[in-house]
Amino acid sequence: MIRIMSLLLTVFALGLPAAAQDSGPLRIEITEGVIEPVPFAVPDFIGDGSTATQLGRQIADVIAADLTGTGLFRRIPSDAFISQITSFSSPIQYADWKAINAQALVSGAVRVDAAGQVVVQFRIHDVFAGQELGQGLQLVGTQEGWRRIAHKVADQVYSRITGEGGYFDTRVVYVAETGPKDARQKRLAIMDYDGANVKYLTDSASLVLAPRFSPTGDRVLYTSYESGFPRVYLMDVATVGRRALVTREGTMSFAPRFSPDGRTIIYSISQGGNTDLYKMSVDGGAETRLTNTPSIETAPSFSPDGRQIVFESDRSGTSQLYIMPSTGGEARRISSGQGRYGTPVWSPRGDLIAFTKQHQGRFHIGVMRTDGSEERLLTASFLDEGPTWAPNGRVIMFTRETQGEQGRASLYTVDVSGRNLRQVRTETGASDPAWSPLQQ
Amino acid sequence: MITPIKIGYYVSGAGHFALIFWALFGGLFKSEPMPFEVTDVTTISEAEYQALFAPSEAPPDLGADIAMPEAPAPEDSLPDIASPPDTPPALSEPEVAEPAEPDPVPTAPVPPPDPQVTDVAPEMRPPSEDVAVLIPETSVRPQPRPAPRVAPEPVAQPEPDVRIDDRVQEAVTAEPDAEIVQDEQEATSPEESTTEIVTEADSPEQAAPSRSVRPQTRPQRAVAEQEPQPEPRPQPSAEPEPDTAGIPSESAVEAALAEAMGLGAAEPAPAPTSAPMTGAEREALRVAVQSCWNVDVGSAASRVTVTVGVELDRQGRVTGEVRRISAEGGDGRAQDTAFQAARRAVLRCQRDGYDLPVEKYDLWRSLELVFNPEGMRLR
Repeated sequence: MIRIMSLLLTVFALGLPAAAQDSGPLRIEITEGVIEPVPFAVPDFIGDGSTATQLGRQIADVIAADLTGTGLFRRIPSDAFISQITSFSSPIQYADWKAINAQALVSGAVRVDAAGQVVVQFRIHDVFAGQELGQGLQLVGTQEGWRRIAHKVADQVYSRITGEGGYFDTRVVYVAETGPKDARQKRLAIMDYDGANVKYLTDSASLVLAPRFSPTGDRVLYTSYESGFPRVYLMDVATVGRRALVTREGTMSFAPRFSPDGRTIIYSISQGGNTDLYKMSVDGGAETRLTNTPSIETAPSFSPDGRQIVFESDRSGTSQLYIMPSTGGEARRISSGQGRYGTPVWSPRGDLIAFTKQHQGRFHIGVMRTDGSEERLLTASFLDEGPTWAPNGRVIMFTRETQGEQGRASLYTVDVSGRNLRQVRTETGASDPAWSPLQQ
Repeated sequence: MITPIKIGYYVSGAGHFALIFWALFGGLFKSEPMPFEVTDVTTISEAEYQALFAPSEAPPDLGADIAMPEAPAPEDSLPDIASPPDTPPALSEPEVAEPAEPDPVPTAPVPPPDPQVTDVAPEMRPPSEDVAVLIPETSVRPQPRPAPRVAPEPVAQPEPDVRIDDRVQEAVTAEPDAEIVQDEQEATSPEESTTEIVTEADSPEQAAPSRSVRPQTRPQRAVAEQEPQPEPRPQPSAEPEPDTAGIPSESAVEAALAEAMGLGAAEPAPAPTSAPMTGAEREALRVAVQSCWNVDVGSAASRVTVTVGVELDRQGRVTGEVRRISAEGGDGRAQDTAFQAARRAVLRCQRDGYDLPVEKYDLWRSLELVFNPEGMRLR
């Protein structure tokens, strides 16, 4: 009897795992993937007429340039296509696109209506799933604005595949530089994020610095030496009208930045050899002093919720990064590495702070968590400075200046992961960029 | 009446009594006296004992009893012990030595010859037989190239850094028979895929990878090739129950034990589930899927662990939809993106079917794949 019971217990013990293995599905955990661009296909958008055909080709090229510029996508050349899209409404032969390893397909059509407006229709296809990725959309715009239409299509493709907001239909305000270093002329300029459609906002009569977009993208704060001293100005982008915001005599005001709601600006004032942070309403009014120390506090930047401010200060002996409430108060240091830190900018996502770091004779653009942890340096060169975030918090644009008397300032972008370092093509030398929000 | 039992008692009692009597008086416990030695001793008094071991503080006065020897009388005639006077030794004239040759003029010291040390590495003897060794973790750092001499004149600016062109072009070679002569051009290098990110600020410590990838195993698929038509999925209810009626109890237990061990005591039990998936087979499937899993490490989706369910046919191809079983981390949009990436990985890499042993189809026809990017996130 005892023997039988022991045998039954043994059978029960051995049978449990076997039964579990047989009954449940095979479970595999995958912890390592690959980091590579997603291959996609963008055939020329089908045009209704010669003008529309030309626009369809140009729009497809801009979409492809936007996506490949992120480093996350790779365009499959058209001569590799097995099947062609001859009609926007015809069904997609997914097998043909799967055969060339296209993971995404963008198909579209362009026509020019009687009013001269450009009408663009497009669809995004998940090739391996064999279905449309989201619904098709239609965009209408002027013929001159065809690039914006293409950027908007690219934003949709980027957003639907990556799950993040796009940043292609944006603009960048920056300081255009011409002439040698010892006699350099600077003026404000604005352009599309990819360097197209440059428009100059000021002349080169006076030195300008540090332009910053408003949260709505229609106004720009900047510092100008128009009065002989650095002073903060506010400019309307559409009318190019400007006015000085901080006019206190005997002081220098600089490094302005908008609050997230656009109603308040924060800036630095230097008086009597001391520099502190102040804030005031955009509409004018009294200033509020936020810091009162004998050290230099400058380069403030709001958190996305507007409750905190990150800035740089040399109160510890070297320039470091600090965070304090936006109403002022005790500041806590967040940078802890070796070197000097400056020009912090809070990410639109709120999770990271980009900064400039100088260490051992080289400049870096880096990011860290808001508590100072997980610092990562993304670039390294003779002079990198002035980071600004893309509106989706994924890409950083900054200034890189080469060494020597003929050194030239240029704009570069880098992914927050440290990949995909690219130079932005500009007509002249360029520095001090500020990225706009997505245009409406 | 005397019963036989009582007779037994009496006989037994008498026997025991006789035995005890014999033991006591029969010499069973009688022993011979042990031989011993006797030593003669003497008795001394305490005074004698003290006299024997007490330290002698003063030597005994023995002067009265010991006769002193007489001193020897001096003899009248002492022996002449005077020695003859010393005579000085005859000194001979010193010989005039020939003048020594002057010392040669010292010459400048000759530096010692350079030690001739041959810096030759000892010859390594090849091992006499194959010896299993461990693969070094890191490769030998290559010798640095000799630095070019500094020219007195500045050189021209180096060419700009190579950049990856946005357009991919195929290689074109010159064809002598063709009518149109095309310029030779190199194919653009495709952008490399990687599993880690090295930023511009980070200089790679070594060029060679520290580990090699485990080669992918290729399970046998001979059976699958012989069966081009997929068989219908066997239903669990169709499996015959083992008939244990009429079998003795121990035999039933042994049969159940054999079934639990996977031996398949019942005759109609299907062969495919006889052996579990080996580690190599599971690893091969994992490697096959992960090679198509594209992780966007900078996105919010890289913080999502998603589990998907997949059904496969006997050729290893996905049948039906890839299901999302669960997702952890991130918001809803990030979870959707993570699931899309996982689904694309499963669908892309199946090609003509995952390479799985068809005889174990019942084990892998239903899969749960957990895509966990934790190790790839940016830190």
